[in-house]
Amino acid sequence: MQNWLATLKGARRYPSLVAGVVVIIIFVAFSIYAVVALPYAEAIRLWRGGPGVWDETPRNAAPAWFDVFIEGDTPRTIVVRSGDTGTITEEAIGDGMKRAEIVLPFQYDYDGFPSELRLYSQAEYEGSRQPATVSWHTPDGRTIILQEHRIPRATDTYYISQDQELRTQLSGMAPHQGLFVDPNDEENPLKGEYRLILTTEVPQTAELDAKLVALGQLHGLAGTDHRGRDLLVALLWGAPIGLMFGVLAAVGAQVSTFVLSAIGTWLGGKVDRLFQWLTQVNLVIPVLPLLILIGHFYSRSLWTMLGMVIALNVFSASYLTYRAMYLQAKEAPYIEAAQAYGAGNFRIIFRYLIPRIAPTLLPQFVLIIPLFVFLEATLSVLGLGDPVLPTWGKVIYDAVDEGALYKGYYYWLIEPAVLLLLLGVGFALIGYSLDRIFNPRLRTL
Amino acid sequence: MMKKPDQRPGPVADGAVRLKETSGPLLKVEDVLLYFRATAGVVRAVDGVSFGLAHGQSLAIVGESGCGKTSLAKAILRLLPRNVATYEGQILLNGTDIMKFNDERFRHDVRWVKISMVSQAAMNSLNPVMKLGDQVAEPLLLDNHTNKKQALERAQEVFRIVGIPVAFLSRYAFELSGGMRQRAIIAMALIANPLLVILDEPTSALDVLTQANIMNALKRIKQELSLSFIFITHDIATSSELADEVICMYAGQLVEHSSAERFYREPLHPYAQKLMASVPTLHVYKKPEFITGQPPSLLNPPEGCRFAARCTRRFERCQEEPPLFAHGDELVKCWLYEGG
Amino acid sequence: MREIISRLGKFTLIRAVLLFLAVIVAVYLTVIIANLGGQLDDIRKAQIRYEIGQRAFGNPDLRTMSPEEVAEMLNALAETEFLRLGMDRPFFPMRSFEYLWRACTLDLGRAERLSSDAGSRQVHNILMERLPVTLALFGTANLVLFLLALFIALFLSRRYGGFLDRLIIALAPSSAAPGWFYGLFLILIFGALLGVLPWGGLVDAPIPDTRLAYALSVLKHMVLPVAAVVLGALFANIYTWRTFFLIYSSEDYVELARAKGLSSRSIDRRYVLRPVLPPILTSFLLVLITMWMGQIVLENVFHWPGLGSVFYQATQMNDVPVILGVIVIYGYLLAATVFVLDFVYAIIDPRVRVGGGAVRQ
Repeated sequence: MQNWLATLKGARRYPSLVAGVVVIIIFVAFSIYAVVALPYAEAIRLWRGGPGVWDETPRNAAPAWFDVFIEGDTPRTIVVRSGDTGTITEEAIGDGMKRAEIVLPFQYDYDGFPSELRLYSQAEYEGSRQPATVSWHTPDGRTIILQEHRIPRATDTYYISQDQELRTQLSGMAPHQGLFVDPNDEENPLKGEYRLILTTEVPQTAELDAKLVALGQLHGLAGTDHRGRDLLVALLWGAPIGLMFGVLAAVGAQVSTFVLSAIGTWLGGKVDRLFQWLTQVNLVIPVLPLLILIGHFYSRSLWTMLGMVIALNVFSASYLTYRAMYLQAKEAPYIEAAQAYGAGNFRIIFRYLIPRIAPTLLPQFVLIIPLFVFLEATLSVLGLGDPVLPTWGKVIYDAVDEGALYKGYYYWLIEPAVLLLLLGVGFALIGYSLDRIFNPRLRTL
Repeated sequence: MMKKPDQRPGPVADGAVRLKETSGPLLKVEDVLLYFRATAGVVRAVDGVSFGLAHGQSLAIVGESGCGKTSLAKAILRLLPRNVATYEGQILLNGTDIMKFNDERFRHDVRWVKISMVSQAAMNSLNPVMKLGDQVAEPLLLDNHTNKKQALERAQEVFRIVGIPVAFLSRYAFELSGGMRQRAIIAMALIANPLLVILDEPTSALDVLTQANIMNALKRIKQELSLSFIFITHDIATSSELADEVICMYAGQLVEHSSAERFYREPLHPYAQKLMASVPTLHVYKKPEFITGQPPSLLNPPEGCRFAARCTRRFERCQEEPPLFAHGDELVKCWLYEGG
Repeated sequence: MREIISRLGKFTLIRAVLLFLAVIVAVYLTVIIANLGGQLDDIRKAQIRYEIGQRAFGNPDLRTMSPEEVAEMLNALAETEFLRLGMDRPFFPMRSFEYLWRACTLDLGRAERLSSDAGSRQVHNILMERLPVTLALFGTANLVLFLLALFIALFLSRRYGGFLDRLIIALAPSSAAPGWFYGLFLILIFGALLGVLPWGGLVDAPIPDTRLAYALSVLKHMVLPVAAVVLGALFANIYTWRTFFLIYSSEDYVELARAKGLSSRSIDRRYVLRPVLPPILTSFLLVLITMWMGQIVLENVFHWPGLGSVFYQATQMNDVPVILGVIVIYGYLLAATVFVLDFVYAIIDPRVRVGGGAVRQ
């Protein structure tokens, strides 16, 4: 133990070690924040979606701080709710019906157009569904009828931007542009107060609610993906997941190889040869394709993958490296002395051989963690990641799948990639420094 | 075989030809300095050593670990490490100052042909992936002056001299025992018929029986081939067998240079006296003595006589560094011998 | 000389046999895993039904039968065939061995959905068509990697502590990221932003007509993927091997070689390079194995039509015979890699050849 502390004190002389430790500490802090600020259930909810979850976030939006690079004030998302800034006026018209008018006003002062326009409405009542009229009122007094005879469902989403008839009505301009455009200046929107008015005649007992969403072009710290999911969720949670997977896999794989190597080398003879042959078998087994096979046929859950990865790395190639070290350690006189006083195999292996070589395990162990972190990313990139969990690899997969590079959504790819790289490099920095510290042969140079 | 002017000298089988060499000393080392750069400062490993060695004579260099013996050997053969700070002086081989040679000429004309070496830790001195015969004959095959057949014949010859079965030429180093490996290294040192062989602790890693065998072989070689040896060792006993003269080193300096007879019987320098007193003797009962304290640091050697701190016979004068005084045929670096 | 050859031959034979056994175990494991849910059986049955359907097609009686009768007849034929082939027997052990045999000989029948460029649906043909494409990329990339890393490491080992040395040490952690990762960035920079090199694929479209133009086109398309592979492993390897070189050049026998008057070049070649090659080769072997795994994603990122991309397509389309086939070929490729390196090892390290149970470092 003394030896460890002494060597670690000398560690301060290695700047790369310090740098690596700092990076890893940042990631650990990141992970803790992720788990605390965005609890698991909430993260899954945001990631998996469901009714109403992705309503108010724009799709493929760049991060909000991009605004610094874009001229003018780039549009953010505006949400107008009827129960909030909007108004509902109702007027009985006999026959048990009422005329309801929902006005959703908002101020629009941005220099660009929204990316999408949607109207969500709720109309709970019994009986046959009634039509509704939706009209759009611009600041300069124009009125555009969006819908006249459409019959909204109890819970309805009207994708104004995708309305082809409206598009034709607006001379071919996409609705989220056409409805905002300044009639005198085709390039820019008209600023001022806009109103969307929804009128319908429904039974008296009807409960009405409406929400207008003008989705912006920028969102959040990290932007959004093709489904409107805030990428920050995946970026945050990717840290603890990646860390956990990497560390657990490394522990499972390396420690088992380490112990098996000690046992095999000490017992020698047939056992040693068998273990060496098993290492060869392990070397020949195509690990990734097999994992893909398993992921494909059985389960893609992270735990299954973790288990299989460990199982397929029990006799990893490090076996031979450790074996060389154990062979040397085996000749040490104190081992002979232990045998002389009658120590059993178990005792010699676990109390003498392993503790002696354990320091050299440390750098190997640290260096292998990034491999496993990237393995998880690789599986995700191939579409075989955990179907539920938000991981960095999954984001990369989505980005590549949706052609982020072709479409110019570089941030979508770069953000998770950079995080992956930093995590890997952090561990590698530590690992290489430790290697220089603990490797006896390098000290004599 | 005709000797082209640029080539290394060919093998000479007849020892008699050797005596035609010049009558001056074989080797004259003058004020050689070798300093290394370490993280803590400059280490003065060899700090102004001078001595001479006549043809056919053998010299033993004795001293504690770290006194600069091995560094001196490396200085003579110009085997400098990466962190050398100072390397000066004169080394006259048969009258020619080899310090002035450029590296290429040194490598070509001096290394192995004139001076060869048997290094410390000979266990690891053999290339593990080359056959012994190839390694041993290698110096002859350089620069194409001997053909392979002749070189291997010569290799067989030297193997015979050191006492290794000729069949071992096609073996690898790991197949040999420690003693055999040592003999192979010695054979390799002899193959180019050098004038001088430096042996650095040739037997310290061996058991006593093998040691005796090797020493006998060396004695035989010395007689047969009339070679000169420089024998570096901390083991006084074994060196006494082969040496004609002895140099004692302390803290990077030469403190005594005597004939072997004189040194082993009655050394002059106080340090040398303590050294001899520490060796157990077979027939005379005496309690082995030891010297208190530690040798001084070579980073910042003390002013004055470097042994003064541990010397029981020191006096005032010792605060100033003594020169080498002549005392009869011997040389001593001690104020006690001022005036001869 | 004859002795050396016979010893070498015996050694090689034993290694080959052991490796082959290892491959068999690996494939067997795959077969077992693949059939844990009965998928292999399902495929086989589907295959048989297909063949029966094909055969029955020429039967004139079919025209007089109603669709239900036809279906019934085909079913009955299929069932008989299943019994004949013993498919009612339990999977363990005999039928698993049967699958094992078929897998090892790549006798995997028809693909479910994929087909080769030449139009064949035989799994064997599909795979054989893709194999050389993969080998071309893999071979070139790793050859470049090996030579580059080796010479830079040797160069660097003589400048210990210098600026370049420290630069390489600082860059070593960059190999934490696999090749495909750098591939993405390379495409971003050279393909998207600068537009100098192609984004992926094997050749330009339309395909060049002369052989020379074709070859040049392939080379142009190889630049980025090869660069990606090299970047993903270069600096770590240079670091490790330069460390090896440093350790091995400070050996006592190297010092003695200097004392013997050997030139620096001879020393580098015979006293440093030859003894250090075994551990370098061992380390490179592990790199190669990792590379094979990374090949799958790399080929997908660059749309390189090799084994990796066909494997990915097969997983997307649930084409089990192809999946199995690729795994088996990978097993063979890995074993071949291990074998070749073992063989080279035996040639350069006499301790392994001569026996005496020498230990590989």
